[in-house]
Amino acid sequence: MVRRAQLFITCLGDQFFPGVLQRMVGLLERLGVQVGFPAEQTCCGQPFFNSGYWSQARDLAAKWLRVFGRTEGAIVSPSGSCVDMVRHHYPRLFPPGTPEHRLAIETAARTFELTQYLAHELKAIEVGARFPHRVTYHASCHLLRGLGVREEPKALLGGVQGLELIPLPGEETCCGFGGVFSVIYPEVSRTMMEAKVQAIDSTGADVVVACDAGCLMNIAGGLRKAGSPVRAMHLIEVLTAGGGMP
Amino acid sequence: MDSAREEILKNVRRALGREPDSALPALPATARVGPRVAGPIRDEIEALFTEIQKLSGTTRRLAGRDALGPALAELVTAEAVRKATLWTTPDLESLDVAGALQALGVEIVPPQAGKARVAECELGVTGVDAALPETGTLVLRSSPDRPRVVSLLPRVHLAILRPAALRADLHQAFGDVQGDGYCVFVTGPSRTADIELTLTLGVHGPRSLHVWLLPGC
Amino acid sequence: MSHLPASIDFRANVRQVPPALPAAVQKATAKFLGTRAALVDALGHDVWQALRQAGHDLRLHALDNLDRYLEQAERQVLKAGGHVHWARDAAEAQRIVLDIAGQHRARLAVKAKSMATEEIGLNQALETAGLRVLETDLGEYIVQLKGVGPAHIVVPAFHLSTEEIAALFREKLGVEAPAEAQQLTQIARVKLREEFLRADLGISGANFLIAETGTIVTVTNEGNGRMCCTVPPVHVAVVGIDKVVPDWESLTVLLKLLARSATGQKLSCYTQFISGPPRSEAETGPKELHLVLLDNGRSRILQTAETRETLLCIRCGACLNVCPVYNSVGGYAYGYPISGPTGVLFASQILGAKAAGALPFASTLCGACNDICPVKIPITDILLQLRHRVVEGDAQESAVAPYRLQLAAQLGSFALARPWLYRLGSRLLAWLQAPLRSGDWLLRLPPPFNRWTMARPFPAFAPGFRAWWRSRSHHTRGRS
Repeated sequence: MVRRAQLFITCLGDQFFPGVLQRMVGLLERLGVQVGFPAEQTCCGQPFFNSGYWSQARDLAAKWLRVFGRTEGAIVSPSGSCVDMVRHHYPRLFPPGTPEHRLAIETAARTFELTQYLAHELKAIEVGARFPHRVTYHASCHLLRGLGVREEPKALLGGVQGLELIPLPGEETCCGFGGVFSVIYPEVSRTMMEAKVQAIDSTGADVVVACDAGCLMNIAGGLRKAGSPVRAMHLIEVLTAGGGMP
Repeated sequence: MDSAREEILKNVRRALGREPDSALPALPATARVGPRVAGPIRDEIEALFTEIQKLSGTTRRLAGRDALGPALAELVTAEAVRKATLWTTPDLESLDVAGALQALGVEIVPPQAGKARVAECELGVTGVDAALPETGTLVLRSSPDRPRVVSLLPRVHLAILRPAALRADLHQAFGDVQGDGYCVFVTGPSRTADIELTLTLGVHGPRSLHVWLLPGC
Repeated sequence: MSHLPASIDFRANVRQVPPALPAAVQKATAKFLGTRAALVDALGHDVWQALRQAGHDLRLHALDNLDRYLEQAERQVLKAGGHVHWARDAAEAQRIVLDIAGQHRARLAVKAKSMATEEIGLNQALETAGLRVLETDLGEYIVQLKGVGPAHIVVPAFHLSTEEIAALFREKLGVEAPAEAQQLTQIARVKLREEFLRADLGISGANFLIAETGTIVTVTNEGNGRMCCTVPPVHVAVVGIDKVVPDWESLTVLLKLLARSATGQKLSCYTQFISGPPRSEAETGPKELHLVLLDNGRSRILQTAETRETLLCIRCGACLNVCPVYNSVGGYAYGYPISGPTGVLFASQILGAKAAGALPFASTLCGACNDICPVKIPITDILLQLRHRVVEGDAQESAVAPYRLQLAAQLGSFALARPWLYRLGSRLLAWLQAPLRSGDWLLRLPPPFNRWTMARPFPAFAPGFRAWWRSRSHHTRGRS
């Protein structure tokens, strides 16, 4: 029986992180997964839901469910917050007993964040990666508290040859992105981001790794603003590294 | 009748979608935690004393009644006690704590003399109605012979403890006091960290807490 | 500050935060989080989680049966010889307390720390009527002298340095005041001792109200709670109706949760249980006890099932301590006596969306508060409901957000729901960004997105995945 996975690339991944998505495809295929990409997908509706615009969120959720509901196999995404949206909030957007509600529950049950999928579905902790650098890990909030994914990313980093994992002070503290929060309360967002950048700098690591596009945009921008040499990378980039910096 | 009362209750009932005379359901089992089983009395007292000391309280074991006088002499000197007020429970009367203090030149102020006079006392002496080892807590009840101000106004609180006062936990202690009009659970001397998180003692309640164990009943 | 603003402008408040404040906040919260964690570890993870669940379940049970428990509490207090008053709103509560003060010709009132009394602006109302009202919790006393409100519900003045407090005492009390905490504490003790003994009225709140026996429970470390409830001849307790718990046994759970969560103590110094005035003439204590049951919007909060659990709060302050937003701005930015996550929940609902609609958005929804709350309030879920209320309206209130935002949301979702329009928009943005581009970054974006770029650059649009997928599919098809 061939394992199938459908790519849930997310709007941010689609617009800003083509390399991450390509590498994800490469790794999954190397692990024997037949990868599909439903091209009609756009956005899961999270920004609208988080902003309180539930009518719009419902429309986009219904569309997302139509696109992915007719696929087979696991639905895998490199973003914890989008998966959290689908798994925890989609069922609540539709009244119990409706077809949309049933579809939301069924589809949510087979939607995974990438490290969840690798660790629990594929049982692939060591994937033959080599990345001889000092790395620190930032735990994205929705991945950590929404999905309960705490150890898996670190276990995967532990399986990378030559990688030295340095604990990040305040690893579980929010980086200050918060979606629309970053433009509604930019000063607070900045304060939180600067604290995160300072913590990262204090580790002496070359690279900070995270599993969420929003966090990465925020932290990478912050590192650049601070003139820091530290690179912000998605976990998949480290897992598909052959030795040098990609 | 009280229209505010009626309106509030009406709003609450409406918010809950309640039928006016539906029965009160029992609390769910998950809302309860089990009681603690006490260990041997010696261990319980050891635990109690450890907690009290952690809270900057002072503990002492007195061999018997006769040790009380010398101990009080030390306390009166160390804490510069000139006036004292006491509970008038049978136990304290039988120990004649008041007499011993008077013999040391301490003026005894009856609690009924009024709050201003009680506030002039450096020392307040009480018994202990119940003691909780896990937290180092002393339960003090209130009655005509257990005035509340004795353990509150003076800057030194001396509590005379008997082993029989030990209780396993809050469940047991509540069993004793829940029918009372008033009680206070005292866990260490008065404290605050309001000024730059620095711990200071003796804000409004006593600054020193002394707990002396006497054997027997 | 006992008066509340007509509308809370969180962003404007944040801009007023002194630069030194966040560091002071974090020093305090880190300490509390540390001592809390040590005690939770000592208890054991499973025991702690069971306690949290028990705390949640019993508080929810109390709320679900609030009317019956309120009636039971009232019966018991009356039986014990106390007076019971009911206040629908702040104004009514003020009038009730003023009446009691008037009946006793009270001129001086001493107050224990009570968020409920700050919520209703009691101090101001009493002072306007000619009474002197003295806060007696040391932190509250300090901020009262300074003329500001509390910066944290547990340690109201933690943000002030010892030097600042010494200067304040010198200025306002006219005494020699060295910049040393124990000596400052002693000064306050002596000053407030005089007032306690002179006061006509003692005002408190209650941490809990036990329905079973009509018992007011107060939890303090300083002893001011005992003073206010014991020394003056009249005791008035202003208690939110949400404070009711069914029975004494409930406190075996709640007392284990409260002090550990608040300050990392196993139990606070003084837990007082007051069931009516003293039962005999010969007992020391107040001659009269008045319980004022305060609604002020709580029954309205009960109405919405999705936000009802707001009222489970036991006011421990743990959510403030762990909140990254609170730690970045401190308590004053929230414009309400209670700040942090639980403050947002209360302020939004007690003041309403029009006045406090900015607050539910003052969060990244990181969820740290959910995990630390000792009674498992689903704080971020409630925040989401409150945001929904602000922008779309719900059964409780109609929308208050400006229409242009609604329009933007509609346009945005319109485009995102149509893959062809979404892809067109994506190509357009990738093209439009050219003049703004600096390598992989856009250093400046037009408003409102300049709010992002004022803090850090935005990544350049790079929508290359779809073309890559199409070309490799063609490739694969071509090969086979």
